[in-house]
Amino acid sequence: MEYTKPMHEDAFRAGRALGLDHLKLGVWLFIGSEVMFFGGLIAAFLFYKVNNPTPESALLDVGLVGINTFVLLASSLTVVSALAAVGRGDVASMNLYLIATIVLGVAFLSGQAYEFVSLFRHGLTLSSSVFGSSFFTLTGFHGLHVLVGVAWALSTFFRGMRGNYTRDEHIGVEVFGLYWHFVDIVWIVLFTVIYLI
Amino acid sequence: MKSLVSRLRQPAPAWLRYFGWNTDHKVIGVQYLVTTFFFFLVGGALAMVVRTELLQPGVDVVNGTQYNRVMTNHGSLMIFLWVIPVLAGFGNYFVPLMIGARDMAFPRMNALSFWLIPPGGLLMIASFFAGAAEAGWTAYVPLSIRTPDGQTLWALGVIVLGTSSILGAVNFLTTIVTMRAPGMTLWRLPLFVWGIIATSLLVLSATPVLTAGLIMVALDRLVGTQFFAVAGGGDPVLWQNLFWFYSHPAVYIMILPGMGIISEVFPVFSRKPIFGYRMIALSSLAIAVLGLTVWAHHMFTSGMDPRLRIPYMVSSMVIAVPTGVKIFSWLATIWNGKLRFTTPMLFAMGFISQFLIGGLTGIFLAAIPVDLHVHDTYFVVAHLHFVLFGGSVSAIYAGLYYWYPKITGRMYDERLGQAHFWMNFIGMSLTYLPMFLAGLQGMPRRVADYDPNFLVPNQLASFGGFLLGISVLPFLYNAFVSLRSGKEAGGNPWRALTLEWQTSSPPPQHNFEQEPVITHGPYDYGEGHLAPHPAGAPAAGE
Amino acid sequence: MESPAPPVTRRPISYALVFLVLAIITAVELGVKGLGLPRAATNVLFLLLSLGKATMVAAFYMHLRRDSRMYTAIFLLPVILFVVFALLTIVI
Repeated sequence: MEYTKPMHEDAFRAGRALGLDHLKLGVWLFIGSEVMFFGGLIAAFLFYKVNNPTPESALLDVGLVGINTFVLLASSLTVVSALAAVGRGDVASMNLYLIATIVLGVAFLSGQAYEFVSLFRHGLTLSSSVFGSSFFTLTGFHGLHVLVGVAWALSTFFRGMRGNYTRDEHIGVEVFGLYWHFVDIVWIVLFTVIYLI
Repeated sequence: MKSLVSRLRQPAPAWLRYFGWNTDHKVIGVQYLVTTFFFFLVGGALAMVVRTELLQPGVDVVNGTQYNRVMTNHGSLMIFLWVIPVLAGFGNYFVPLMIGARDMAFPRMNALSFWLIPPGGLLMIASFFAGAAEAGWTAYVPLSIRTPDGQTLWALGVIVLGTSSILGAVNFLTTIVTMRAPGMTLWRLPLFVWGIIATSLLVLSATPVLTAGLIMVALDRLVGTQFFAVAGGGDPVLWQNLFWFYSHPAVYIMILPGMGIISEVFPVFSRKPIFGYRMIALSSLAIAVLGLTVWAHHMFTSGMDPRLRIPYMVSSMVIAVPTGVKIFSWLATIWNGKLRFTTPMLFAMGFISQFLIGGLTGIFLAAIPVDLHVHDTYFVVAHLHFVLFGGSVSAIYAGLYYWYPKITGRMYDERLGQAHFWMNFIGMSLTYLPMFLAGLQGMPRRVADYDPNFLVPNQLASFGGFLLGISVLPFLYNAFVSLRSGKEAGGNPWRALTLEWQTSSPPPQHNFEQEPVITHGPYDYGEGHLAPHPAGAPAAGE
Repeated sequence: MESPAPPVTRRPISYALVFLVLAIITAVELGVKGLGLPRAATNVLFLLLSLGKATMVAAFYMHLRRDSRMYTAIFLLPVILFVVFALLTIVI
């Protein structure tokens, strides 16, 4: 194994002069590319919604998904509250908020699993029609992102338990939050284009 | 026994670090360059098969299916495993050096970006054992969802390689924005760095869309989704949109860093400040922005809405403006310069002449009536190869020769280099110029057999192709032998002003003995007080 | 070192308040959907409401309102590009 020297303290001074943290910038750039990834999937969904509409969209249960939407919005509140807590130096509260986030994320995924199963029962599957294909692919990849978010939340929680975050050093919590809120925004868009319009 | 033990206790020899996980951007850069050159040789061998098959009419060496597999993987290897990642390799080695940084912003992610390349390449090559991809590098549906299993491996390989690109782009942009040395302002960035900025922005915007499309293809093949199954209401034009939204910008991803290399080479070997520095930098960004708006010009024959054709034609043609800005700026840079015709300089000049042919025929193809006529003929093949081989590969060779002394600490052999250039230039012209004629006369592309009327242009192209294949030999010999026997290069053999030359060759692990402070632009040649070397010391090639 | 930024005099909007607004908008959306009005009438409303929700999350929870403008640009440009791409893809 090769020993790698930690980077020079001042290595990122050009970024700091611009008010930019390198980790945060990297995560934002990654989120920018994720916008285009979901952009491709959403474009495909809308393409078929407009050019090849099917009556199957009537099978969707807006009420159930509405509850799930509240769950995800609430999880964004807990994430941002975790960040605010660690910003005050209150690591214990941060850990509680992260647990709440994990619970809400799992609740969302359970709701989605329930929705998928009931749609399967009605005969809507990945291969039943272009609507089924584009619907499950799009919502499925969003669900995968929530799953990754839950894993990230767990890792942030364990780091928090080990005391890795302090009032002045908690960029890890912040960039986790950026990802989580982005996944929330994607859901806001999906809820509209799939279930509302 | 004793000696064995003591030998085991010694630190690993330096060359071993190139074969494992390493976070030094220079090691990663070399890993990229060597690995991608290997894939270039594989792709080149496939091209030799193509040219052998087309030496005469009739299906003789390989049958139609095999031909399609060879042709598909030739294109895919050259694009996804050679041109795109080799430029990322240059970026890895030189962006931190050029901006005076110690490493990339995320060294571990950087190593990951590289280590995604061999699995991606192996997936693609392994597809040959499962009935290789045969739908062309464009993988048009519904063909690409009906071909054998190798196509699935191909799609997964391209997804992996795209992910590597995206991580690399995040890393480059973060590094350039946050890690510049004191005094390295926006308008003092070397033009290669500007090229990497523009390319990274394109990668972030366009590659994820291809990933989304490839996921749909893979799902159609694996779990029976209906995205592109025409019987189930799927629409092939959707794939064309998703594919070209990435793959048109991909040609700029493959040329902008190359243009950056050219912009490094010309001022150094002309001993003149580059002409129009800011315009060249801004034209890279302009090409990136415009490049995202033109994808549907590949679909003029796909039954698209006729009202949209003219806007796509116009936006495609407008790209000639920033491209022209670059070419005229390069010509003005060498005008009246004190030229040194070293190998990198020759490749840079070859780049201009050959890329110009590729670029101008691109304007022909953007014109709707011409495109309808020559769509899917050899005219397109010739255009593409003038841009990607005459353009990108010439620039890559220019970069390899230009930076060989920096990476290895040794000079390459100039006579072998020049022989390589002339073989490459003549082979290239002989291969692709006749294809324009064949295409205009109606020879379709991607077919193993052809009408005997097209014999002459095909034979010329095959002889040129074989010459291109042989031309790699002097390069390889040169690169290997000069490692040991080349003259010591010293820190700055070309007497260049950019930062990567202001440290030893090869640079120490921490890049610079003292953190550099930048007080002038990268190409301020001809200003006496900036001479980086003791006056009178001749530069290499003088 | 730069001199510290002047203290923020404006009171930061409470995160809970933002959540309340988001929840109310969602409830309104569900209510309007439940009325079963013709799609043409409601689609624009739904798009505007969700745009508002997404903007609120980005501005307040992701702190784009007070963070560097570069982050806003990195987020907004791909969003615009996506909208252009989606519209053109559907039309073509």
